[in-house]
Amino acid sequence: MREANKGLVQGEANAREARVKRAARPTPEPTLRFWIISMMLVLVGLSTLKLR
Amino acid sequence: MLLALTQWLSHDVRAFNVFGYITLRAVLAMLTALMISFIVGPAMIRKLTAYKIGQSVRDDGPQTHLIKAGTPTMGGALMLVATAISTLLWVDLKNAYVWVALITTLGFGAIGWVDDWRKVVHRNPKGLSAKTKYFWQSLIGAGVAAFLAMNATLPAQTELIVPFFKMLIIPLGGVGFAVLTYFVIVGSSNAVNLTDGLDGLAIMPTVMVAGALAIFAYVAGNFVFSRYLGVPYIPGAGELAVFCAALAGAGLGFLWFNAYPAEVFMGDVGALALGAAIGVVAVIVRQEIVLFVMGGVFVVETLSVVLQVASFKLTGKRIFRMAPLHHHYELKGWKENQVVVRFWIISMMLVLVGLSTLKLR
Repeated sequence: MREANKGLVQGEANAREARVKRAARPTPEPTLRFWIISMMLVLVGLSTLKLR
Repeated sequence: MLLALTQWLSHDVRAFNVFGYITLRAVLAMLTALMISFIVGPAMIRKLTAYKIGQSVRDDGPQTHLIKAGTPTMGGALMLVATAISTLLWVDLKNAYVWVALITTLGFGAIGWVDDWRKVVHRNPKGLSAKTKYFWQSLIGAGVAAFLAMNATLPAQTELIVPFFKMLIIPLGGVGFAVLTYFVIVGSSNAVNLTDGLDGLAIMPTVMVAGALAIFAYVAGNFVFSRYLGVPYIPGAGELAVFCAALAGAGLGFLWFNAYPAEVFMGDVGALALGAAIGVVAVIVRQEIVLFVMGGVFVVETLSVVLQVASFKLTGKRIFRMAPLHHHYELKGWKENQVVVRFWIISMMLVLVGLSTLKLR
């Protein structure tokens, strides 16, 4: 009975750890992607120096 | 390829002559590589995930990195494909320098590919042994060095240019030039590989350095500009601006997926190739010392590893909490994003210092 409880406790701990791991990896942030878009737009703007 | 087509079309429609300009083709190469990365990227990440080509994480590294285990790797192949296709589309295919740069990049990429493949697919944590990897890097590096040394026709092609000093030019001779070329290519390849440890850390400085090298290549290949700015004139080097722009575009496209939290890592296939690419371009346009300045982040990361190992072997004590340097700052409490963006800012400043050597001589 005690062994079974131990297994249950361990299982709960594993599940909790898995939840923590999933939560720890954040979803993609838009900030850097907005920087990339901005950088491309600046380059397009600069290209107007030549493309006339 | 498209250059030949537009030249042929320009006989009938003069407007196609505009594609003869390197600057326009560089912009188009960058956009083409970026678009290829955006279009192919998601499908490639899905495939890498499906085939379980996931990164294994060092258990002796920072504990915060353990959640990265299993993130798809070998994404550098995406950059190589985008760079190669875009370059072949927009460059003058008769230009030998472009082929040298492209073959060097793909050659180092192939070494990285084999290393990654063994690590990830064959579950061999060591991948290629350090000796084997170094042997193949040396073979390609030495081959490129010998080719460039033997095909140098002007003294400027083998002279070492010292930035900020107009009159200080060191003639290296064929052998000296080949030795320097070998060390620059192999060294920069390994330096970028060591820097590639945090999301986006290696790629953005590479994009910035490639962008700056595109300007150096354009100036070096233009007789009027090179004379005016006191830069050695290297006939044909201008086409490398198109290659560098394609590299920068592919890098930016990759960053879209590699930005924190990364959906894909570049792996050795990307890191070794990118380092070799900027190394070989710097050598051709005779800006090795400027590369050393602009790629200061790569240099410092490499030095941190060298110093850490030397200190531990000689005194038994570590200088940094962990090497390479980015891990040291992580263990000091900086967030991953803080380390990455701050290293980008430093890299940006160094690139500006490098670019200032165009005028300050």
